[in-house]
Amino acid sequence: MAPTFKVTSIAKKRKAFSLRALQENLTGYAFVAPAVIIILIFGLFPIVYSLYMSLFNWRIRKGDFTGLINYTKIFGDWGGFAIFMGGLGLLGLAYWLWTRASKSNSNPMRALQIGAAVVLIVAGTIMSMGWGKMVAAGDEDFLNSLIITIFYAVGTVPLQLAIGMVFAYLLYQKIRGKEAFRMIYFLPYVTPVVTTAVVFRTIFSSRETSLANIILSWFNAGPLKWLFEPRAMSEVFLGLKLEGIAAGPSLALGTIILFGIWSFFGYNTVIFLAGLGGIPKELYEAAEIDGANGWNAFKNVTIPLLSPVSFYLFLVSFIGTFKAFNHLYVMATPNAQNTVVTASVQIFDVFYAQNNFGYAASQSIVLFLIILGLTVAQNKILGERVFYG
Amino acid sequence: MASLTTGLEESQPEGKSVRMLTRRSRTGNQSLVYVILIIGAVLALVPFFWMISTSLMTLGETINRKWLPAAPQVANYIQAWNEAKFARYFWNSVIITAVTLVGLLTTSILAGYAFGRINFKGRNAIFAILLSTMMIPETITWLPNLMLVRGTIIPLPGGSWLNSLQALAVPFMANAFSIFLLKQFFAQIPHELWDAAQIDGANHFRFLTQICLPISKAPIMTVLLFGFIGSWNAFAWPLLVTTRETWRPLMVGLWTFVSEAGPETHLLMAGAVITLIPILVIYFLTQKQFTQGIATTGLKG
Repeated sequence: MAPTFKVTSIAKKRKAFSLRALQENLTGYAFVAPAVIIILIFGLFPIVYSLYMSLFNWRIRKGDFTGLINYTKIFGDWGGFAIFMGGLGLLGLAYWLWTRASKSNSNPMRALQIGAAVVLIVAGTIMSMGWGKMVAAGDEDFLNSLIITIFYAVGTVPLQLAIGMVFAYLLYQKIRGKEAFRMIYFLPYVTPVVTTAVVFRTIFSSRETSLANIILSWFNAGPLKWLFEPRAMSEVFLGLKLEGIAAGPSLALGTIILFGIWSFFGYNTVIFLAGLGGIPKELYEAAEIDGANGWNAFKNVTIPLLSPVSFYLFLVSFIGTFKAFNHLYVMATPNAQNTVVTASVQIFDVFYAQNNFGYAASQSIVLFLIILGLTVAQNKILGERVFYG
Repeated sequence: MASLTTGLEESQPEGKSVRMLTRRSRTGNQSLVYVILIIGAVLALVPFFWMISTSLMTLGETINRKWLPAAPQVANYIQAWNEAKFARYFWNSVIITAVTLVGLLTTSILAGYAFGRINFKGRNAIFAILLSTMMIPETITWLPNLMLVRGTIIPLPGGSWLNSLQALAVPFMANAFSIFLLKQFFAQIPHELWDAAQIDGANHFRFLTQICLPISKAPIMTVLLFGFIGSWNAFAWPLLVTTRETWRPLMVGLWTFVSEAGPETHLLMAGAVITLIPILVIYFLTQKQFTQGIATTGLKG
């Protein structure tokens, strides 16, 4: 019976083709309209409007058209900016050379790799030169907030991935209470940031009786100021007196990094668990027959076969830290000064506290372009890798 | 003990001696595994323990930093609920989340169905544009959207939307992620079902509501869960658009309490626990679907 029905329905379709097509089109548009309208207005329109605002001296009300002056204020020295971008281009070249080198197996490979390394060093030098020029003449607060963002990203992402991978591997063994452990690890990820931040702020407060300082006292260590400490960790722990970027993140930022790791490691655990499910069991059997113990199997089977998942997580989390706002905003204390102000928080401040709309818009366009660039790079790099899972 | 070893033995019946050896070393490893897992669990849970324990203390106990209250002060919750206005914030959050979810579900089911099953002109282009919005950082949207809901860009019905339910709910009533998730699911529904439905005279809307929805409980649940978490935990946008208490949600209420509470840590923690309860209830009820939803999509983050 079914085939005959099909034939008649196709015949019907042909007959009323144009009417049908029109009807299909209209139904389609009607169905997508509500979602498209909301996303266009609240998701896409803001970019266009920010671009427009960034060209004006716009406090609360729209002022004079100023062209690129807001951007000049950010970068200070366009020459420095050009040098920096040139360095970035070289970085791309180094990556290209490196991937070329790993694709070919012959002798030129080594030459290419050395070439890539040289280009990498040159790129780094040029970038820091250009950056120095920009910081000298431009908006130090904003440019610094980008560095803080990178500190935060570099501090949270590798650690949260490593911890997530280890816990996923342990949970993947046949153990009791697997579900319960997974549920507990994932808990920090689902709980509201503001709520957990409120708790972390009391745990890591500068009071001598805060939980963090009580734990330090068990080890006969003196109390620290944690979230209220603007000094760099290199100074607090190692006594080094370094200046500027070289000093590294402040202890306050270090504490927020701990908070970030605590919040996200469970998310990574869950994704890694899914990735582990894709590794064939036979490989572990083979490793076991070859006499590999748990650690060897982890090092030689798990880590390499999870690398596509790790890579994906790394890039997504790295970009995520550039978008992050809540974690940093609610953990920032006035005492920590600008050592915990990332780009998102800085932008929020410029329009919310300082009411400098046009300038905030130009900063958010710059942040958007950085994230766009990272996303394009991510898609390109991920596209070139093989996926196992 | 046998249940603790891995499933390795099933596939190599002849390797008995090897198996015995590895099993012995495995039990040694096993306790180490549990130690690490338990340390992890303790670290994950300590802040929650600290929060609950502090919320039941007297003010004096919070200052002297006891680990546990001598007698649990349930009255703290009553005080936070009534005097610190957490009751109002709580119901605000409930209403905002409910309204947002109804809207989100409606828009994403309709759009997901259309992108998955209706052939209309420009479908792929529109879908690509929607997907590209997932990459846009929220930061960039706040300022223009704030001006939009204040009515400074275009005049809005009723003047400014500041401190209104619309401002809190409407921007979250659609997102590309939910549409993507449902589209994937709807697209898999066999075409024969649609052919049969057409013969019965059904149009797209009837097919969607009577055939597709009843079999789409799992993806709809995932959309609801993510939507709930997103809406309940939302902070930055509600902070921008609520200057008064009228529609202030829990997260913003808790945040303003941080500055107002000062040394009243016990009340602050009671408030924090109140913000957490609905999330915990839903998480424990649906946690399997939850982690599976995350693992299969891997997109949220």
